[in-house]
Amino acid sequence: MEDPEKIPTIDGTRPSPAIKATPSPGDSRALAFGIAAWLLPGLGHALQKMWGRALVVFFAVGLLVFAGASMKGNVFTRQGSDAFDTLGYIADVGTGTFYLFARAIETKGADVSHAGGDYGTRLLATAGVLNLLAALHAYEAARGHKA
Amino acid sequence: MTAVPPLDLTHFQAFLLFAVVISVAFGFLGRRRPKDRVKYIMWSLFLFLLVGIGVGWAMFPFSR
Repeated sequence: MEDPEKIPTIDGTRPSPAIKATPSPGDSRALAFGIAAWLLPGLGHALQKMWGRALVVFFAVGLLVFAGASMKGNVFTRQGSDAFDTLGYIADVGTGTFYLFARAIETKGADVSHAGGDYGTRLLATAGVLNLLAALHAYEAARGHKA
Repeated sequence: MTAVPPLDLTHFQAFLLFAVVISVAFGFLGRRRPKDRVKYIMWSLFLFLLVGIGVGWAMFPFSR
């Protein structure tokens, strides 16, 4: 069989050898920052000395979780009965350790028979999605992308 | 953990809380310079309120 390295191309140049994609130490660091940001809202930015963003993310997610749980919103668990429960659980777990905080606050369970409880459910889900967005932002910032 | 007293907010208060918190978070994450952040936060908050109240009014005829 003919060696592909010796096959001339139309313009006379040879294809460059394949470059193996190996994760650099910077990528691992960025991933660690992203995971830290998910676990504790704002930590990913704090580790990069972005103090303003860290504080805003921490208090924004914390306030939404506190308000959502205090309004008797639904804190979803793994034992969801349908796809919407699973999606709600994924959104709620997005708050990282604050998910446990929400479970600890809401000792008497959710009450979505009133509008307040329904709003609470939305605030909890918003907190999770916001934290996932912030974690992605911290990850991208650690990779050196403009943030 | 001691039980936290339930938070009883009206529709508008809950909506305002959501709009303010998300606008501030987006402003800080999306912009670097303080002036740009303030402009972004104000604009985002205005649009949240405009769309929220607008949709609320649009649904009013079907609410009863």
